Amino acid sequence: MAVRREKAERLADEELMPLVSRKDPEAFEVLYDRHGGAAYSLAYRIVGDRAAAEEVTQEAFISVWRSGARFDATRGSVRSWLLSVVRNRAIDFLRSKAGKAPKLDFDDEAALEQRPAAERTEEEALRRETATEVRGAIGNLPGEQAKVIELAYFGGFSHSEIAQILSLPMGTVKGRMRLGLEKIRGELAEGLA
Amino acid sequence: MSVSDHTRWSEDLAAYMLGALEPGEAAEFERHLDDCERCQGEARWFEAAVNSLPESVERQEPPPGLRAALMAEVRADAQGEERRERGGWLPGWLREGFGARGLRIATGLAVVAFAIAIAAGYEIGKGGSGSESNGGGVTLSSHEHGITAKMVSEGEGGTLQLAGVRQLPPGKVLEAWVRREGTVEAVPALMVPDRKGQAETTITSMKGVDTVMVTEEPQGGSEAPTSPAIVTMSVSQ
Repeated sequence: MAVRREKAERLADEELMPLVSRKDPEAFEVLYDRHGGAAYSLAYRIVGDRAAAEEVTQEAFISVWRSGARFDATRGSVRSWLLSVVRNRAIDFLRSKAGKAPKLDFDDEAALEQRPAAERTEEEALRRETATEVRGAIGNLPGEQAKVIELAYFGGFSHSEIAQILSLPMGTVKGRMRLGLEKIRGELAEGLA
Repeated sequence: MSVSDHTRWSEDLAAYMLGALEPGEAAEFERHLDDCERCQGEARWFEAAVNSLPESVERQEPPPGLRAALMAEVRADAQGEERRERGGWLPGWLREGFGARGLRIATGLAVVAFAIAIAAGYEIGKGGSGSESNGGGVTLSSHEHGITAKMVSEGEGGTLQLAGVRQLPPGKVLEAWVRREGTVEAVPALMVPDRKGQAETTITSMKGVDTVMVTEEPQGGSEAPTSPAIVTMSVSQ
């Protein structure tokens, strides 16, 4: 039996997932309301087109609805899992439109001001704080490290493709990925301290 | 494991976490990761950095229609599921109150409705509809009002794919039906066309099916077709 919307809203994501796998639309709707914005934003960031981002987001959420049982709470949060589903869909979309270059620029501070005003919960406020920290961490990366991370994560390119695109040895690409992630991680840890 | 061995794997870790290893390399890395506690520890450390990347993107407001379209599909799916759990397309009172005789009555009613819907559907399609089979388990059928239906075989069953379907009025869904050895069955998963006018549903078994039909039905689906067929396909066994 479906839970009522008000009850679903009080549940944590991890508590909603078993309900979603039992095909509860109210639980799924709450999940969408919590993460749909981030999912669509990520899809748009990767595919660079609103209609395509809409299609990718819808497909990703439908796949979550139909395969909710695949979520494994021991491997991370629902939000991370959901966004990884969106990312994979978006990269698949890009690959299916071979030849289309992804958008490859990190957001600047001016863009942050355009965010929708939906700061409803403490959790959302915390996410935004984290997002600002992450943007700061990425913004502080040397350009060559930021570039390989962009191409890999948002462009869906493999390390060998990136080596080819940037005319670099593969070892250098992997090294820059590692250094870049280490710096982001280090700054996040400082932010939490 | 020697230090130099570990260094080799360690160089691949960030690329693996970013999804940037080639599939074969990723599989090889995962085998190593299963046995290497040091790499597992580093992977956990990097995970927070990788998970933070999607949070860094500029926030975009999703189009308002996205939520509505998504939830329409989800609710149609959930109702189909519920209906299947309750016992397919047969009304509960027939199943519970009349047993096998009820089943026969319901089947008879559905066959009549199916025949009427098909007749009306052909009337709509007159002048432009037709069907063909490529002999490889894929039957195509197109109708005058622009819908293309394709049945793609997969094992015993198949996927019915529709394209060119107009947006449905509120409270309506598409329901597929199959006729198997004279008995009409509803396909449990209801359909709501997406923005591009595409919809699909899975038919778990095509064994003995001679006709597939799609009608427009109220949300939650019907026990028997209540409107003319918008798609009718003959299936060659």
